[in-house]
Amino acid sequence: MPSNSTASADAVSIYGVRKTFGSKVAVAGLDLNVPAGKITGFIGPNGAGKTTTIRMIMSIIFPDKGQISVLGRASALESKDRIGYLPEERGVYKKMKVQPFLEYIARLKGVPSAGLSGQVKMWLDKVGLGDCAKKRCEELSKGMSQKVQFIASVIHEPDLLILDEPFSGLDPVNRRLLRELIDEQHKRGCTIIFSTHAMFEAEQLCDHLFMIHRGQKVLDLPMGEVWTRFDPRTIVVETLSAPDDSQLGLFRSFEGITEVVPNAKGFDFRLAANVDISNVMQRIASSVPARRIELKRPSLDDIFIGLVGGTSETLATLDDESADGKRSAEVAHV
Amino acid sequence: MFKVMQIAWRDFKSVVFTKSFVLGVVLPPVIMFAAIAGAQLLMNKSAPKVAGHVSIIDRTGVVGPLVEKAFAPDEVSKREAAKVEKVSDTMNEVGLMTPEQVEMAKKMAAAAASRNAVGVKLLPGDADPEPAKKSLATVNAKSDTNTPETPLAVAVIPNDAVRKTGDAFGTFDLFVAPKLDVEVQGDISDQISRAIVDARLADSGLDASKVRSIMDRPKSVAKTVTLEGDRKTDEVTAFLIPMGFLMLIWISVFSAGQYLLTSTVEEKSSRVMEVLLSAVSPTELIVGKILGGMGVGLLILVAYASVGGGALVAFKLGHLLDPVMLIYFVIFFILAFFMIASMMAAIGSAVNEMREAQALLGPVMIVLVIPMILWMPIMRNPNSLFAQICSFIPPINPFVMVLRLGGSEKIPHWQVLLSIGVGVAGSVFAAWAAGKVFRIGVLMYGKPPNLPTLIRWVRMS
Repeated sequence: MPSNSTASADAVSIYGVRKTFGSKVAVAGLDLNVPAGKITGFIGPNGAGKTTTIRMIMSIIFPDKGQISVLGRASALESKDRIGYLPEERGVYKKMKVQPFLEYIARLKGVPSAGLSGQVKMWLDKVGLGDCAKKRCEELSKGMSQKVQFIASVIHEPDLLILDEPFSGLDPVNRRLLRELIDEQHKRGCTIIFSTHAMFEAEQLCDHLFMIHRGQKVLDLPMGEVWTRFDPRTIVVETLSAPDDSQLGLFRSFEGITEVVPNAKGFDFRLAANVDISNVMQRIASSVPARRIELKRPSLDDIFIGLVGGTSETLATLDDESADGKRSAEVAHV
Repeated sequence: MFKVMQIAWRDFKSVVFTKSFVLGVVLPPVIMFAAIAGAQLLMNKSAPKVAGHVSIIDRTGVVGPLVEKAFAPDEVSKREAAKVEKVSDTMNEVGLMTPEQVEMAKKMAAAAASRNAVGVKLLPGDADPEPAKKSLATVNAKSDTNTPETPLAVAVIPNDAVRKTGDAFGTFDLFVAPKLDVEVQGDISDQISRAIVDARLADSGLDASKVRSIMDRPKSVAKTVTLEGDRKTDEVTAFLIPMGFLMLIWISVFSAGQYLLTSTVEEKSSRVMEVLLSAVSPTELIVGKILGGMGVGLLILVAYASVGGGALVAFKLGHLLDPVMLIYFVIFFILAFFMIASMMAAIGSAVNEMREAQALLGPVMIVLVIPMILWMPIMRNPNSLFAQICSFIPPINPFVMVLRLGGSEKIPHWQVLLSIGVGVAGSVFAAWAAGKVFRIGVLMYGKPPNLPTLIRWVRMS
C-alpha cells in the first residue's frame, strides 16, 4: 500500500492492480503514482491496457485485484464531481442540441444551474463554436464534436482531468488550441493525465511520463529524466560534400568518441560518458566542412518504438533502463 | 438522488417531447376520446324533424284505422319510451346503468320522438295509388318547410293481407318520398305490418294485446348467492373492466419498456454511455433510466386510462370504477414496469444495435404474452388454485393480480399484499440483476452475448 504521505502528494495511486477479461489479461499487477498538479502522459501501444487502466481509475470498471485511490479517496465514485473525463470513444446525444447537452453533463457533474447557461456559452465561444449552441450534436463535424466533449470534461473545473487520446482526429490548428486549453487547466492547478499516441504533444505538454506495454509498466519517469536517460549521446554531422570514408580513422582518434557511423549524408559520432560535448563539436567542425552539426535529441517516437518494438539493441538497453527508471521514479516520488 | 432524477428527467423529455411520441402515443387516445365524445354528442343531438303524412290505401278496410291510431302523438311517445326501456333495462340488469339513468333515457327518447309530426291520411280503399305515388317524387322529405300536408309515403294494403285468399297472406306495398329518414321509414313499415298482424288476430277472434303479452318471453339475470346476500352477476364488469385494466397495464409497460430499450441501445451505440458513467455510477444510471421510463409509462397509462375513464363517465358508467382498485392498479403497474424495464435495460446494455436486441427479447416477450394466454382461465375463475399460484410468480404476478382484482369476485386481502410483496422482491432482484448485466455489458462492444452469457454475467461477482 502506498504510504499516506505519498497518497497526499499524488492525485492517483494505483497499487498492484490486475484486470482480466475472460482469458485476456488487460492489466497485470500495475503500480502507478500520478503526481498532483502535473501533466502526466500515459503512453503505450494499442491494446496495452491504457483505456482499461483509465476506466478503472474512473471506477467505470473495477479491478480484479489491487487498490486505486483517486484524489485522496478510496475510489473515483467518491469524487466523480472533481474529475473530468474525455473518453477515447467520443459520445454525444445525437438528437440533443449542443447547449442543453453541455448543461445536462454539467448538472450531472454538480455544477449549479445558476449562471450555467452563460458558462456554457463562454466555453463555446472560447473554442470557436459560439454559433453551434443551437445545433443538434449530430450536425457537428468530428473535430467540433470533440471540442464539445472537451468542454463537457472541464466545465465543472475538475481537480483531475483524464483525457483519453484527446488529439486524435483534430487538425493542426485545433491541436494547438487543445494544447493551449490543456495548459490553461494545468495552470489552474488541475492534475492532468492524458493517454496519447501523439508523441509530439506528449513531448510538448508532459511533466511526467508513464508507459505501459502488455498491461505492465515499462516506463515511469519525470520528463526531464526521460531525456537524460534516453539521451543517445550522439552528434549528427551532415557534410557539405559526399562523406569521405577515408576520414574515419581521423575521427576515431578524437578524444571522447567511441564510434563513428557513416551514412548517406554524413556521420553519426557516438560519445563517451563525461565528455565535453562542445569541445568535441568544435574539433569536428574544424576537421570537416559541414552543412549541419547537432547534438541528437531523443524523440518520444524513438523511445516508444524502442520500448515496444523490440527490434534493436535499444530495447535491451531500455529494458535495463526501465528497471532503473522504476527505481528512480520511486525515489522521485518519496 | 439528484443525479438519478436528472437522468430520469432527461430520458423522460427525450421520449415525450418528440413528434413520434405525440403522434404515436398521445394522439391516438386523444382521437379516441374525441370520437367517443363526438359520438355522445351526436347521440344527444336531436335527429332532424320530420313533418308530413303517410297515405294509406287500405283495401281491407280494417288495417288503416289501426295504423292511424299507431301514429297518434301519444302512441308514438309511448312506443319510443318502450324501445329505450328495453335496452336500458338490460343495461341496468348487467350493471351498466342505474335506474335513474334508465328513467332519464326514457324521457329523452320520448321527447325526441314527439318532435316528429308524421300523420296518417286514409285514402279510399279503391283509390288508384299512381297519383299519390307521383306526388311523392317532387317532395324533399328532409325539408324544414314541410307541413303535415306534405306526402311522405304511400302504403297499399291488399285485400288478402288480413284474410288469406290463397295459400299465404298478401303483403303490403310501401312507397316513400326521396330522402325520408331511415328510422321514420322503418317505423312506418313496422307499424303497418304490426297493424296487419293485429287485424289478422282480430279476424281470428283473438285479442291482439293479450296474445302479445302471452308471447313476451321471460328473462332473468343470474344472481350469485354469497354469505353477504344475493349479488347480481355483473357479466360486463366481470369481463370488460379487468380486460381493460390488463390492456392498459400491458400497453403502457410494453411501450415504455421499448422506449427504454431503444434509448439504452442508442446511448451505447453513440458511446455517450462512458461520458455518463464518468459522472454517475452504473446503478444511478440504470435507476435513473428506469424511473424516466416509468414516467413515460405512467404518461401512456394516464393517456389511455383517461380515454377509458372518460368513456365510462361519458356513458354515465363512472360508478364501475373503484378508487381502491385504481390505487392497486398503479402499484401493480409500477411493479410490472420495474421488472420488465430492468430486463429491457439489461438487454439494451448488452447489445450494440436494435437488431441484435431482437434475439434476446424472446424471454421478455414470453413474459408479456403469458398474461394474455391466462386471461380467460383467470377471468372465469379468479380464485382458482391456478390463479392464486400465478399471483405469486414474478414477473407475471402484477398482470394476474390486476385481472383478478378487476373481476367481480372478492380476492382475499392477504393475497393482494403478498403479491405486492412478491412483486417488490421481484423488482429488487430484477434491478440488481439488470445492474450487473448493465455494468458489464455497457462498455462491451463486438459480438452480442446470448442468454446464457447474460445469466453468467449476473452470477459473476
